[in-house]
Amino acid sequence: MNRVIVIGAGPSGLSAAITIAENGNEVLILDEYMLAGGRLLGQLYEEENGKWWNGIKESKSLHDKAVALGIEIRLGTPVSNIEKLDGSWVIYTDEETHYTQHLLLATGAAEVPLPIPGWTLPGVMSVGAAQVMTNVHRVKPGNRGVIIGVNVLSSAIAMELKLADIDVACITLPKMNQVTKESGNPMDVMNSLLHVSHMAPSAFVKFGSKLMKNEFMKKMGITFFPKKGVKMWDIPIMLRKAVINIYGENAVEGVTIATINASGEVIEGTEENISADFVCIAGGLYPLAELAAVAGCPFYYIEELGGYVPLHNKRMETVLDGLYVAGNITGVEGAKVAISQGVTAGLAIANNLSGGKQEVEINEAIKRIEHTRDNAFIQFHPAVKEGKEKLQRYWEEYGQEVKVGVTS
Amino acid sequence: MIICRCEEVTYGELKNTAETYNCSARELKLRTRAGMGYCGGRTCRSMVDSIAHASTERDVTQVTLKYQPPIRPVSFGSLGEITK
Ligand SMILES: Cc1cc2nc3c(=O)[nH]c(=O)nc-3n(C[C@H](O)[C@H](O)[C@H](O)COP(=O)(O)OP(=O)(O)OC[C@H]3O[C@@H](n4cnc5c(N)ncnc54)[C@H](O)[C@@H]3O)c2cc1C
Ligand code: FES
Repeated sequence: MNRVIVIGAGPSGLSAAITIAENGNEVLILDEYMLAGGRLLGQLYEEENGKWWNGIKESKSLHDKAVALGIEIRLGTPVSNIEKLDGSWVIYTDEETHYTQHLLLATGAAEVPLPIPGWTLPGVMSVGAAQVMTNVHRVKPGNRGVIIGVNVLSSAIAMELKLADIDVACITLPKMNQVTKESGNPMDVMNSLLHVSHMAPSAFVKFGSKLMKNEFMKKMGITFFPKKGVKMWDIPIMLRKAVINIYGENAVEGVTIATINASGEVIEGTEENISADFVCIAGGLYPLAELAAVAGCPFYYIEELGGYVPLHNKRMETVLDGLYVAGNITGVEGAKVAISQGVTAGLAIANNLSGGKQEVEINEAIKRIEHTRDNAFIQFHPAVKEGKEKLQRYWEEYGQEVKVGVTS
Repeated sequence: MIICRCEEVTYGELKNTAETYNCSARELKLRTRAGMGYCGGRTCRSMVDSIAHASTERDVTQVTLKYQPPIRPVSFGSLGEITK
C-alpha cells in the first residue's frame, strides 16, 4: 500500500505525480473535472519574450508525461471527504474509497462572487466560466459581454475573449456594498493595479501591447481617471463607473452603469444602459482548501495569499502526518509557481518514502519556487512574498507551541 | 438582491441581522440559514463571511465558516452504500 494519492490534476498535482513516479513510486491522481490540466487549461497569452503560453498544450504535455510514467489518472471523480483512520488517509469518492499513507491536496483556487442586483439572471457567469467556455470548450459565452471587476485575471480573460472575436463592451467596477468594498472602490483598485505595474516584469501591463505601457500607465497615475475609461485592446477599462444593475426579462439584456466618485459612491443622474447578452463577474480568487479543512489542518487567513491557507512548511508538508499541499491551495499564484511547488511536494513525498534520499534535491526545488515567483509573469497579489513570509512565521510559532504543549 | 441562492436570503436581511446582533459569521449563518442550503455554501460562503466581517473582527487563526463533509454532492445510493 505504498501508492501515493494526489487530489487534483492541475499543473501542481500533475507535476507532483510525475516527480513521485520518476523517483520510482506508484501514483493515483483523482480529479472531478473531465479533463486533466485544472485551471491551466483555459490559459492563453503572450509572454514578454513573444512566446505564447497555451494552457491546453502545457496541460497535454504534463498529462502525456504522467501517462507515459504509468500514473493512473481518474477523471470525473469528485472527492467528497478525507479522514485519517488507523494511520491511513481514507479518501471518499462516489464510486470507491481509497487508502494511502501519503496524500497530496492540489485542489487549486476558486473564484470569489460579487453580488450585484440582477446577478442571478441567466447569462451572468464568473469570468473563469467565460474563459473555460471560450478556450476549453470553444463555445461563445455570448456576443457582447460586460466584465465587472478590474484586476489581473479579468484583464487577461478580456483579451482572450477578444482573441475569440467576442465583443467586450467594457470592464468596469461593481457598485460598492459590504461584499464589494474593495473591488468597488476606484482608489483601491487603481492602487492594486499600480502595484502590479511596478513589479518587474509588470504582469498587468505586459499583457497589452508595448504601446499600452506608457499610455495606459500615464492615465492610471492620474487622480482623475477619464469617465469614459482608458482603452486596452480596444476595450474601455472604466474605473469611474460601476454597474448598479444587471437587467433583462428572462436573461441578461444589459447593465445599468453610473459614474462614481473617487471613493466609489454613485453620483445620481449619471445612469446609462449598456446592452449585452452576457456578464462576467471577476471578484478574484481564493485557495480552495475544503479538504484540508475537513482533515483538520490548522488554517491562517493571509490576505496576500488570497484568504485562508492550510499551515504548511517549505517542503509543502502540513502539520498532519502524511498530508501535503501544493499549488494554489497554498496561495493564489500563476501556473509556473504551481508547477514548481508540485515538484517540491513530489520530492518531499519521495524523500519520506525512500528514507531521506532526496534531501539535496528538495532544497534545490525550494529555491526554484522562489526563483519562479521572482520571475513570475502573472502575479495575483503584489505582496505575495510577504504573505509567504507570514506563513513561515506562523509555521515556526506553531512548532514552538506544539513543543511547549508536549513538555508542559 | 439575493446572496444565498439555495436558501433565498437577501443582502438586506444579512446586513440587518449582522448589524442588529453584531454577530460572527457562524451566528449570521445560523440566524439566517445563509450558507446552509444544498450547495453547502459553495456559492455564498465568501459573501456571508464578508458581510459578517463588516461589523466584527476576523479571527485569522481559524476558518470562520466551517467546512463539513461531504464537500461535494453525494448520491443517496452511495451514501447508503447501495450497490447495483
Ligand atoms: C478562473 C481562473 C483563471 C485563472 N487564470 C490564470 C491565468 O490566466 N494565468 C495563470 O498563471 N494562472 C491563472 N489562474 C491561477 C491558477 O489557479 C494557476 O495558474 C494554476 O492552475 C494552479 O494550479 P493548481 O494545480 O494549484 O490548481 P488547478 O489548476 O486549479 O487544479 C486543481 C484541480 O483540482 C481539482 N479538484 C478540486 N477539488 C477537487 C475535489 N474535491 N475532488 C476532485 N478534484 C478536485 C479540480 O478539478 C482541478 O482540476 C487562474 C485560476 C482560476 C480559478
Ligand atoms: S448559495 Fe448559500 S448555501 Fe447555496
